[in-house]
Amino acid sequence: MGDKTKTKADSLSMLINNDNVVGHIFAAPFIFGFICFSFIPICMSLYYAFTDYSLGNKVAVFVGLKNFLMLFKDEVFLKSISKTLQYVLIAVPLKLTFALLVAFLLTRKSRMVTFYRSLYYVPSLVGGSVAVALVWKQLFARKGLFNSVLMDLGLKKINWFGSEALAIYPLILMAVWQFGSSMIIFAAGLKEIPTTYYEASEIDGANGFQRFFKITLPCLSPIILYNLVMQTISAFMTFTQAFIITGGGPNNSTMLYALNVYNQAFKYNNMGYACAMSWVMLIVMSLITLVIFRTSKFWVFSESEG
Amino acid sequence: MREKKIVKKVFYHLFVLLFGFVMIYPVLWMISGSFKDNGEILRGTLSLIPQSSKISNYNTGWKGFGGTTFATFFKNSLFVTTIATFGTVISSSLVAYSFSRIKFKGRKLWFTFMLATMMLPGQVIMIPQYLIYYRFGLVPGYVPLILPYFCGQAFFIYQMMQFMQGIPRELDEAAKIDGCSKYGIYSKIILPLLKPAIVTTIIIQFYWKWDDYMGPLLYLSRPQSYTASIAIKLFADSTSVTDYGAMFAMSTLSLIPVFLIFLFFNKYLVEGIGTSGLKG
Amino acid sequence: MKKKLVGIMMAATMIVGSLAGCGSQTDSTTANDAQTKDVAEASTKEETAATEDKADDTNSDEPITLRMAWWGSQDRHDKTIAAIELYESLNPNVTIEYEYYSFDDYFTKLKTLVASDEVWDVFQLGGNFPMYLDKIYPLDEFIATGVVDVSKISEANLKTTRETDGTQLGLTNGINTYGIAYDPAIFEEAGAAIPTDDWTWEDYQKAADTITEKLGIFGSSTFLTSDFIAGCSTYIGQQGDLGQYSFFNLDLTGMGFDNPQMLAPFIQMRADMIKKGSYPDAGASAEVTNIENDFLVTGEAAMTWVAVNQFPTIYNVCAEQGRELALAPLPKVVAGGNSGTLIQSSQMLCVSQDSEHKEAAAAFISWFENDVDCNNILQAERGIPANENVREALSASSTKGQQIMYNYVDSVSKNPTPKEYNVLSPDGQDQVQDNYLNYIQQVASGEITAEEAAEKTYADAQAIFK
Repeated sequence: MGDKTKTKADSLSMLINNDNVVGHIFAAPFIFGFICFSFIPICMSLYYAFTDYSLGNKVAVFVGLKNFLMLFKDEVFLKSISKTLQYVLIAVPLKLTFALLVAFLLTRKSRMVTFYRSLYYVPSLVGGSVAVALVWKQLFARKGLFNSVLMDLGLKKINWFGSEALAIYPLILMAVWQFGSSMIIFAAGLKEIPTTYYEASEIDGANGFQRFFKITLPCLSPIILYNLVMQTISAFMTFTQAFIITGGGPNNSTMLYALNVYNQAFKYNNMGYACAMSWVMLIVMSLITLVIFRTSKFWVFSESEG
Repeated sequence: MREKKIVKKVFYHLFVLLFGFVMIYPVLWMISGSFKDNGEILRGTLSLIPQSSKISNYNTGWKGFGGTTFATFFKNSLFVTTIATFGTVISSSLVAYSFSRIKFKGRKLWFTFMLATMMLPGQVIMIPQYLIYYRFGLVPGYVPLILPYFCGQAFFIYQMMQFMQGIPRELDEAAKIDGCSKYGIYSKIILPLLKPAIVTTIIIQFYWKWDDYMGPLLYLSRPQSYTASIAIKLFADSTSVTDYGAMFAMSTLSLIPVFLIFLFFNKYLVEGIGTSGLKG
Repeated sequence: MKKKLVGIMMAATMIVGSLAGCGSQTDSTTANDAQTKDVAEASTKEETAATEDKADDTNSDEPITLRMAWWGSQDRHDKTIAAIELYESLNPNVTIEYEYYSFDDYFTKLKTLVASDEVWDVFQLGGNFPMYLDKIYPLDEFIATGVVDVSKISEANLKTTRETDGTQLGLTNGINTYGIAYDPAIFEEAGAAIPTDDWTWEDYQKAADTITEKLGIFGSSTFLTSDFIAGCSTYIGQQGDLGQYSFFNLDLTGMGFDNPQMLAPFIQMRADMIKKGSYPDAGASAEVTNIENDFLVTGEAAMTWVAVNQFPTIYNVCAEQGRELALAPLPKVVAGGNSGTLIQSSQMLCVSQDSEHKEAAAAFISWFENDVDCNNILQAERGIPANENVREALSASSTKGQQIMYNYVDSVSKNPTPKEYNVLSPDGQDQVQDNYLNYIQQVASGEITAEEAAEKTYADAQAIFK
């Protein structure tokens, strides 16, 4: 295609190859989709946040800041925020460390690697299906696998889903268990690291640990940043697990924020309130993402600056 | 020295295998559940070997509902998922290229918008979005399930951007000197070097789309057009009887396509370090 | 590049469009729906004229397509589809396009259809439907013209799907009420008093505690959120004179009782039972996902709440284990006092405001609820048929569990009922219910007192009406 434009008139070629034009042409699919299918719904959700809109009742009355003021008096909302933060802060680092470790272990040149990686990837394939959620529930049930193991070890059994302090851990464990997509992305990233780097370091006499910290980690840092940002956002959005496994209980101790939004929007029929909640969280999440991006300057190594 | 190496190797394999078993135990439990009867599943026995060994779960499950079998549901899923995955790869790589390599006005703004779209829960924008498709006359139908995937998916756009960061700019410069335009650089340099990112996109997007059920729930209405993800949920009704055996059986079958896709594309990620990367 | 991309997208869209279109009647009808929506809206305004028009449209052979949806299990789907096919063979001009979902999905879908004004012509609703009132086209005019036959449905049964102002919203798919299913053998083994028709909450708590002490299992199990409606809400209705109190007032505009502390003893009892282990705590009750794995069925509890249409199912499951379940009424506040139990509708079928063929839809509903052949296919799977003839025909071939259910409903309908009552619940009750269940846990763990929980529950319920 580059060859074709060369033969055209200079001005046209200039236009077509102008960064502004090229950029917009390549970004066109996103811009088109955003304007057509995302922009209006996003604006509507912002508008609803200031109304008493509910799905059954189509006339939305403007209520000003009422929804936002109510949020800060809403016990369930405040609890859901602290529980969601707990979930994100524990699940994301664990999941990423685990994914990176497994991806690294499984880059060895061996025929078994394909098999192993499949083995570790399977849990992620089953996703948030009803069947797996049910299995998970059984594992942590009062007579489930975890308690049988505890009893065999001579310990007391734990009422996982009955305890406010513990109920969130089965959910966290499930998130960590499904680390497959992060692992695959790390694996692809590892594959991208030029072999010449390793060869050079071998000549310099670096050992495995040194190689990991001096070459692997820095080269992988853009991918680590990516996984960190994406997993943080998607952890904030976790819905299915809490919805199917605990339903938010006991006493709202697993009321993750997305589940709370769903309840308000669909179950309790307060769409306006749910929108207000979403926008508050959007701001919280943007701030967190911004912090991650700002700090990334100090630890992300980029091949191509800019 | 050699013995030590062998011991290390055995230890490594043993550990990876044992841990792998722990990892997939819940999945195995589900598969064994597909041969159990309702009572045995609900009693929650931990054994992986079913007492009842009911193959019939697969028959009753496959039969589907009111004459529409799982053959139809799986066919629908395959159709939607394949096209959506294809769309994701094409559109996301285009958009990623513009965001990471071309300095155009508004780039940062669009990138911010892209991240923002991920931060609003689907629950609050789902209905307005539905109304847009409805006004366009696209409901019920497969278009709303597929079209957005041709507009780039934030998760994968950003992923490809990060992978592009790893591709040295010198290559772009060299190509430019050779007379390559941005379009040429994209198709001749970036795209081939992006293979690992594309492979991960295919693997991940395929199973995400395969599992997605909110979209099909909203945008499909005739049972003959349902995807497997909705059909499986039809077994579980909290107000009446649930046929767990049949549900587990169909969930097990539903794993096969995503697993095959993974197996097929995984080999591109494990060719081994030796052959990978930027050989130049 | 852009051209290429647009080309790909267009091609893909076209392929998709044509594939989605192949053999699909839905697509074309919905497109029509969209176009004729304005016309349809205009015609609802001139109701009488429209009805006359439609009167011939059911009789003529002009083809009519009705859209219908329901929720339920595989069994219900198969049976309902068979019934629909029978109707289509009897009325060749009517085609019914059906959709079916699980409970939660059904309501998600319904809410989107409400937003886009395309609710199915015939749709199923449970007890909590005030939010869909605008979408329900009342049956009164069809009852007046004889399109809908209610001659064999008793006044009490019609009332289960009627608003307080007398508007007939739909016809019930099956009447229902709450009861307590129990295993007499376990009661005997523990030496606990067997429930009587006149037992009190005190008897209930004592029996449950005894069973837990003696056998180490739950005295009573719980299922879903029955504790609020069957327990707490009924408890209010049982106090005072007949019809003096109800949880919400008759026209659902406020509370039906003034003193929040009327709730406190019930909450205290619940919390005490959880502490003693005679009632499942949050962790244990989360394990009950379905009536079939209720602790009564698994043998870990001696009794449980049931909506009685569920009784035959668990009766059969337990019969296979060699146990025989029985059904008792809900306990009362005082022996000989009000039962507070009312006959309700398990679900109903309604005609939608968005429908273009309201009369044909109403005719189908009438057939679905009244026709013996149809109900022979359906087998009372949705609840006890409201039509006397149908019920007679079905009870001739009923199982033992069904027989117990029929007898129980008969005895409940003989209870004295207040002159005025409302079996509907207001929009927003779900939130009150969820909070209520959490307060009970907080009382059990000592965070708050039962009195505080009562105040909070009352305040939550009041907040609905603000």
